[in-house]
Amino acid sequence: MQRIRFLLVADSPGHTTGYYVVARALREAGVEVILGGYAQAEEIVETAIQEDVDFIGYRIMDREPLAIVSRLREVLEHRGHGGIRLIVGGIVARHDVARLRALGVESVFRPGAKLSDIVAHVTGASAR
Amino acid sequence: MSRDQERGTNQSVGRRTTYGSALKPWYGPDDLKDFDPTRDLGDPGRFPYARGVRSSGYRDREWTLRQVVGLGTAEETNQRLRYLFAHGQTGFSVCGMGYAPYESSDPRSLGILGRGGVWIDTLDDIATLFEGIDMSAVTINQIGSSIPVFAMILAEAERRGLPFSGLHGTIQNVMMPGGEGEELRGNHCLDIIEFCTRHMAHWNHTSISARNMRDQGLSSVQEVAFGIYQGVLTVRAAMARGLEVDSFASRITFFFSAENELLEEVAKYRAARRLWARLMRERFGARDPRSEFMRFHVQTSALSLTLQQPLNNIVRGAIHALAAVMGGAQSLSVNSFDEVLAIPAPAAAMLSLRTQQIVGLETDVAAVADPFGGSYCIEALTNEIEAEVCTILNKLENMSASKAWELMAGEADEAGYRRQREIDEGARTVVGVNRFRIDENEEEELGLEPREVFTYDPAWRDKQIARLERVKRERDTARVLDAGRQLAEAYRARENIVPPMLEAVKAHMSIGEITRLLADAGGWEQLRSRHGFYISNLY
Repeated sequence: MQRIRFLLVADSPGHTTGYYVVARALREAGVEVILGGYAQAEEIVETAIQEDVDFIGYRIMDREPLAIVSRLREVLEHRGHGGIRLIVGGIVARHDVARLRALGVESVFRPGAKLSDIVAHVTGASAR
Repeated sequence: MSRDQERGTNQSVGRRTTYGSALKPWYGPDDLKDFDPTRDLGDPGRFPYARGVRSSGYRDREWTLRQVVGLGTAEETNQRLRYLFAHGQTGFSVCGMGYAPYESSDPRSLGILGRGGVWIDTLDDIATLFEGIDMSAVTINQIGSSIPVFAMILAEAERRGLPFSGLHGTIQNVMMPGGEGEELRGNHCLDIIEFCTRHMAHWNHTSISARNMRDQGLSSVQEVAFGIYQGVLTVRAAMARGLEVDSFASRITFFFSAENELLEEVAKYRAARRLWARLMRERFGARDPRSEFMRFHVQTSALSLTLQQPLNNIVRGAIHALAAVMGGAQSLSVNSFDEVLAIPAPAAAMLSLRTQQIVGLETDVAAVADPFGGSYCIEALTNEIEAEVCTILNKLENMSASKAWELMAGEADEAGYRRQREIDEGARTVVGVNRFRIDENEEEELGLEPREVFTYDPAWRDKQIARLERVKRERDTARVLDAGRQLAEAYRARENIVPPMLEAVKAHMSIGEITRLLADAGGWEQLRSRHGFYISNLY
């Protein structure tokens, strides 16, 4: 079976603990994780296309989630890759979760999320 | 899970220290066999300063109440600062200044301007930030070590007619490897140390952020060892630049966390102070007591705060604050309970301040210096932590600085992963997360969610862009070009960068322009490695 390819990106350069923790958990579960680091929408989409990924995982800490996810969605659609699956993790207020889902974010993992739930979502071990 | 476990009577947390040794059910004289109070403790305010840096504890001088602030533009942050000062805050501490190496008008500022701390483009913004605040009366803490921002603070003081030598404050400057020749020229961390040593007797030129690494999940021992290692590097580098140890060492400060393990934390601060004093005296030949004693700021743990049942974080913050005060901190910031959701709302920021005031004014812990001194348990832990720190320190000192940085970063990543696994597996109890959890809707019904959460205002960006445009219209272009040329020359010539930076910000160059100019003069990679302009790992 082909390995799932997962691009992990972040909205700012600092506060990287969760970013590396999630990367490691996914790798240990057999997911091919591409570390895109701190990147803007255009770069994220460019990397996602070049790396032919199934997922983009967006770590959000410092930026306003709706603004940057809208932008990412816009660029994805514009480049004709709206089918790339998208999940978000980080500091996201509860009232923003539904709004992010409306932008096509499959899941929002907030503080307190279990690594096994994130892994299960990506590897398809849980019902979506 | 048995009923006993659910009730917490068979609690596993607290049985071990964060560095893995077993906590005993009780401690007694056998745990302090070689203990010599005169040698190992001294009195408060006396070498080796295990018991604190002042004989009077907090009686003559309370710790600085220094809540972190940083939101919106300089205007919003100024309002929040003045609100907190009006309610008893005594120190200035602002985050976000200079952490983005571009201007507000850059597309990259989307969604971050005002949400990732305060946004600063030019000196004009710093003037607004300090409006109505007496720069000579507060201690000013600059989070991050942006040199343009540092220069702007000085320029604003100069505009107000205040001599640099009279200013009190701290820059979160951390010595990084690098620099040319014996004097490590071109190392801007060292430029700051040198400049402050010559011109700013009351400015802490170094603040070693062991706390931010700790908050990735490290142990108390790693926190202290990594911090002291960086302190040793700082002393060595400053001496290499030709500075005499007693001229600069008293202005090296540390920045620690306060975690849930209260007993261990108190011991940690004591062990750190004692080891630092011994190193400074015995290895570096310091003679001035102020070079020997370690002063530190504490920002309480963020790692231990939970999104679930967020009001529980108020209790955690109070415990952390107690640890910091009983450990003898000089300055304190209590993280707000809603920081897992967003930048603190005003009510949450106020609660953090009140936490400090209740600890300081209603309890008796601040009345007695080092109240735990002489406790079998605390003294045994202090000894154990100091010994464990020495082991790590030796290891770090026996490798190159760049290898040591790699090792520290690797350990922090490893610790973060291990901690999360422990929480997921239930080996580490987090109330409300893996024990005693309640449904989100029930939380809301019970009123356990904050009533007010910070909301982001996209109009801040438009306002900031307009400010920047106005500054650019009004400034003297010839002066900008001249200051820019001199800055680039100093940069290439590896001269101390602070004086030409001061001229550049006084000419109203923006941080984005300054960064671009230096990148053109030396390239991005060089700029990054020389640190201080492009902050990626500190903010």
